Amino acid sequence: MAFRFLFSPFRVGPVMLANRVVFSAHLTNYAEDGRPSEQHAAYYAARAAGGVGLIITEEHSTHPSDWPYEKLIHGFNPDVVEGYRRITDAVHAHRVPIFAQLNHNGGQASSLYSRLPVLAPSAVPDPLFREVPKAVDDKDIADIIAGYALVARHCAEGGFDGVELQCSHSSIVRGFLSPATNKRTDRYGGSLANRARILLDIVAAVRDAIGPGLALGVRLCGDELIEGGIKLDEAVEVARLVEATGQVDYINTSIGVATSTLFMIEASMAVPPGYALFIANAMRQAVKLPVVGVGRIKDPVQAERALAEGHCDLVGVVRGQIADPEFMAKARSGHASDIRTCLSCNQECVGRMGLNHTLGCIENPRAGNESVPLPAPRLRGRRVLVVGGGPGGLQAASTAAQRGHQVTLLERSSTTGGQAALAATVPSRAEFLDLPRNLLAECKRHGVDVRTGVEATVDSVTAAQPEVVVLATGARPKLPWWGEELAQIVDVRDVLEGRAAPAGDVLVFDELGFHQATSVAELLADRGCRVRISTPGMVVGQDLGVTLDMEMFLLRANHKGIALTTDEVIMGAAEGIEVQILRHTTGAMSTERFDWVVCVVHQEPEDGLWKALKDGPFEVHRVGDCLTPRRANAAVIEGHRVGVSL
Amino acid sequence: MILTTPVVLAGRTAPSRVMFGPHETNLGRGRAISLRHVAYYERRAAGGAGVIVTETASVDTSDWPYERAPLAAECQPGWAATVSACRPHGTLVVASLGHAGSQGSAAYSRTALWAPSRVADVASRELPMEMEEPELDRLLQGFSFATAIAMESDVDGVEIDAGQHSLLRQFLSGLTNQREDEYGADRALLLREVLCAVRDILGRDRILGLRLSCDELAPWAGITPEHAAGLAAELAKAVDYITVVRGSAMSTSATRPDFHTPSGFNIDLCRDIRSAVGGVADVILQGSIVGPDQAEWALSSGVADLVEMTRAQIAEPNLVALCVKEETERVRPCVLCNQRCRVRDGRNAVVSCVVEPSSGYETTDRPLAPPAAPREVLVVGGGPAGLEAARALADRGHQVELVERSEQLGGSLRLSPLEGFADWLASEVSRLGVKIRTGEAVTSADFGGRTVVLATGSVPGPRDYDIDGGQVLDVADVLRAGLDALPAGPVVVFDPVGDSVGARIAELLASAGRDTTVVTRDAVVGTQLAVTGDLADANARLHRAGVQLVKRSTLLAVRDASVVVEHVLTGEKQELACGLVVHCGHRLPDVTPGEVRAGDCVAPRTLYEAVLEGRRAAQGVS
Repeated sequence: MAFRFLFSPFRVGPVMLANRVVFSAHLTNYAEDGRPSEQHAAYYAARAAGGVGLIITEEHSTHPSDWPYEKLIHGFNPDVVEGYRRITDAVHAHRVPIFAQLNHNGGQASSLYSRLPVLAPSAVPDPLFREVPKAVDDKDIADIIAGYALVARHCAEGGFDGVELQCSHSSIVRGFLSPATNKRTDRYGGSLANRARILLDIVAAVRDAIGPGLALGVRLCGDELIEGGIKLDEAVEVARLVEATGQVDYINTSIGVATSTLFMIEASMAVPPGYALFIANAMRQAVKLPVVGVGRIKDPVQAERALAEGHCDLVGVVRGQIADPEFMAKARSGHASDIRTCLSCNQECVGRMGLNHTLGCIENPRAGNESVPLPAPRLRGRRVLVVGGGPGGLQAASTAAQRGHQVTLLERSSTTGGQAALAATVPSRAEFLDLPRNLLAECKRHGVDVRTGVEATVDSVTAAQPEVVVLATGARPKLPWWGEELAQIVDVRDVLEGRAAPAGDVLVFDELGFHQATSVAELLADRGCRVRISTPGMVVGQDLGVTLDMEMFLLRANHKGIALTTDEVIMGAAEGIEVQILRHTTGAMSTERFDWVVCVVHQEPEDGLWKALKDGPFEVHRVGDCLTPRRANAAVIEGHRVGVSL
Repeated sequence: MILTTPVVLAGRTAPSRVMFGPHETNLGRGRAISLRHVAYYERRAAGGAGVIVTETASVDTSDWPYERAPLAAECQPGWAATVSACRPHGTLVVASLGHAGSQGSAAYSRTALWAPSRVADVASRELPMEMEEPELDRLLQGFSFATAIAMESDVDGVEIDAGQHSLLRQFLSGLTNQREDEYGADRALLLREVLCAVRDILGRDRILGLRLSCDELAPWAGITPEHAAGLAAELAKAVDYITVVRGSAMSTSATRPDFHTPSGFNIDLCRDIRSAVGGVADVILQGSIVGPDQAEWALSSGVADLVEMTRAQIAEPNLVALCVKEETERVRPCVLCNQRCRVRDGRNAVVSCVVEPSSGYETTDRPLAPPAAPREVLVVGGGPAGLEAARALADRGHQVELVERSEQLGGSLRLSPLEGFADWLASEVSRLGVKIRTGEAVTSADFGGRTVVLATGSVPGPRDYDIDGGQVLDVADVLRAGLDALPAGPVVVFDPVGDSVGARIAELLASAGRDTTVVTRDAVVGTQLAVTGDLADANARLHRAGVQLVKRSTLLAVRDASVVVEHVLTGEKQELACGLVVHCGHRLPDVTPGEVRAGDCVAPRTLYEAVLEGRRAAQGVS
């Protein structure tokens, strides 16, 4: 497919872009001691090398009172400039422009790191941080505005081509714009003109600081999705006010509030692609400034369509380019189908951000390690035999092949993908299939000999005389002791693989706290079962909170009548099925009747080959679940690591 | 006091019998012991600590339990600097070495966790790999290598961690060790091998300590006190001291609990272990020992040979020095709140203390010199911010008057379980000669040209729900008036904050026999208690007390005999019978115009900010 719109050049104020895709601002936790790191530079440079039109960095804090998470860039310290220069040099080497995002998070913060009062328009505590802020006075406001100008000057000194003011999902400026958080009665509160005053003051101060040579953008929230908050019509009005200053070059858009409706900002696969384009569309109709549209745009076809349909002038693609830095290069060269498309699983990007870890990607083991170059292969052309075609085996095979080895992969079932493919059989999780699909395509492109329907044995492996064996044989279900005797007590994989078809009253007992239990519960509820999920934990599906899947799951569970119970342990089961349930916080025991019990518990490794081969005549490695059963990210990382080490 | 007498360990003399035990600080630079660490430890050495055990260092790269967890291979310069800083004070420095095993995290190392068997940690649910011969060899080499590095740093000894977060305990315990090889048949085998390997390198003239979980509180399969006594008696020959701790991965909050567990909870356990050890090694008491009197009693009653007082010295670095001067009443008291010192948490907060906010900030919060000329200063408000301001001002030589409008000093701290700190502040300001007036309101007319510090506290915040009848009381008023004075009927505690306040009042109400419901917008009650370690325990206590928990919900309306609550996601409404709503919402500052303000009158927050800003206000007066 030819991309007519995607690759048309575009001017943003003083800056010319080669194409319409923006790697827009997002947190990485790569900062060290408040300064941008070498990893920052390498990370952005990789996307620049991949041909993106414009990069906008993560936020740079404009004031010492603003320190909501540990690894924030303290843009107000002059010592950031050296790191800025390193980033801009690295990106400019690929002839790609880069802007810096400036921000003060306002009340969406705590004093944990700063040991200073949190500042906000009014003393309204944030729903996440729950710390009462200090309502800013005139002096604080003047300090904040001066802070934006100071950081803008640092950015100009550091070689950025422009700056963007984050006035959207986590910002003191949105705090002022929003009637939900601005209760002021002075000239900064009340009417929209008053609520927008600080924004316009900041625009003027920043333009003054950067002069006409740099671009200036404003990112606005089109709908806070909270009661009493900013709605689209008011947001459009703000865009008009911004345009009327004559000092701004573009408008970027966003939806939601980071500390209350984050699940709609960094939406998982549960939310349709392009869901927030209506905001860009509305603003583009109201202003002449270029408008950036966003919202889970994960392939170039979607991006092209957003442009073709006139929703926006530029398209933000973040996760799509975390997963594949060559997103644009592949699209341009006619290889769009080679793009390692993002799953929107949120496990290693959004999920790790929330836990104060560095940004990564379930599909791209290089994400987060761009600054550490891979060692050159010491040997090439080794005969590598990979056993198992799940994510770990596919990744090991692909990496090994890309590093010049001769790779054969054996998978005993008729298709590759392993448990990742199985997980994707649940309708609400279908996009997870992109993981094994992309990996298989990558293997084939790099010449891996993929043989399905072949069971590897000690003899067949030995007979193949490989130099290296990589075992990625996965895991098998293991029922708890109380479930071994009864036919109606099954593992989640028995249900997904079609070996069991529970009906009637079903108890899903979950010790894993992730998608396995909630997926199968939804599937069975859709088939007409009355489902209850029970967990020993304090929350059902606890880790769905990390990937921002919790809210949508709870809504669906409510709609489907799925009951959720916590703090429960199963002490035994008898014919019937009578299940003895212990509420471990109180010691209360009860016996309850179900037609089926589906166990979602830890599996055991398929490590028969490992035990038989580990002392064999060739090098043997094991990756993923056959080492110990975990999630797909571990399999991919280990597969990659072994592939590199050969 | 015995507490302040020297004690000899492996031929090395500690100046007192008070240990500053190993604990997470997040002061590290990368995985190295930093200059901040050194300053932190030096401050306690200067205050008279007998033995300082540094933050546990991982002996192998397979272990990276939290981001700033020290790694032995990177600790040599930091350990050496700690020794140089502490030795002039006579304090012994011991390096703690360990491996967290299945209680670690794969988030940093991106490798599988190590464990004796594939038993997932209760909290992380992460399945570890079963260690095989190469991993066991690496572990032993790691302990040896780490010991060699520690010796190169000239530490006085090393301590081997078989306590709470430790692979060695996981090997000792039937909860986590299900191996069928010799390490399963003899669960202490690995620990013996480690101690033997470490002693080989260390020699007899340096201290070898062992931190041992002696009760996993899981008698069905865990280490029991009886089992531990036998083990300790056997291992005593190999070590110079044993620190007696308790807890396992199934009871992480039990090892260093907050005030819900009485201090000295390990006394009986420690006494039994000491008698089993029979003097072969010294035995050290741990377990919320924060008062010098209790510590002294434990030493004089044969419970232990030394006492670990870690949190007590986070709160009061000069603990031992004050005991030597026989001024124990001046010891700034640890209130066992765990709010700022419990930092094994992904946010990487730096260790600090609500009563001593400079702890952990030794390199930045430097004490100020006395003022050029003493001034007359008026402090308005006798809560913690005002009291700390007055105390620090008087300590620096200013003439201070403090006016409190209520009859009692302490402010909202009086309504909290941390009230003991209010008593201490009140006694300190009085000792330092602050002129105190209670029961008097102040207007700007009273300022009289003096420097003024305002610490006027907070007022109740807005109530974002309809009130069409019924009764709503602020939690502060309920606590002030006492539970006997409340109207009849079921009580609904509305807790939009999720700190300790809502959970506590619900517990109090339930134990007073009231039919109690908590309404929270969260998935659990008291989400902020995760920081103190009380989250799971608090929810379990509420379950046991029969408190009804209405989660993910908010209060919409209060009526004569009911309230209407709404699910925050589905919007479904339900009506609950209710005679009284106890409102636990955020508060607002009590704003009095003035330049220098501290604590809740800036923005109502916690005790930490009140003390911090009270002290800053005092330091700002030149």
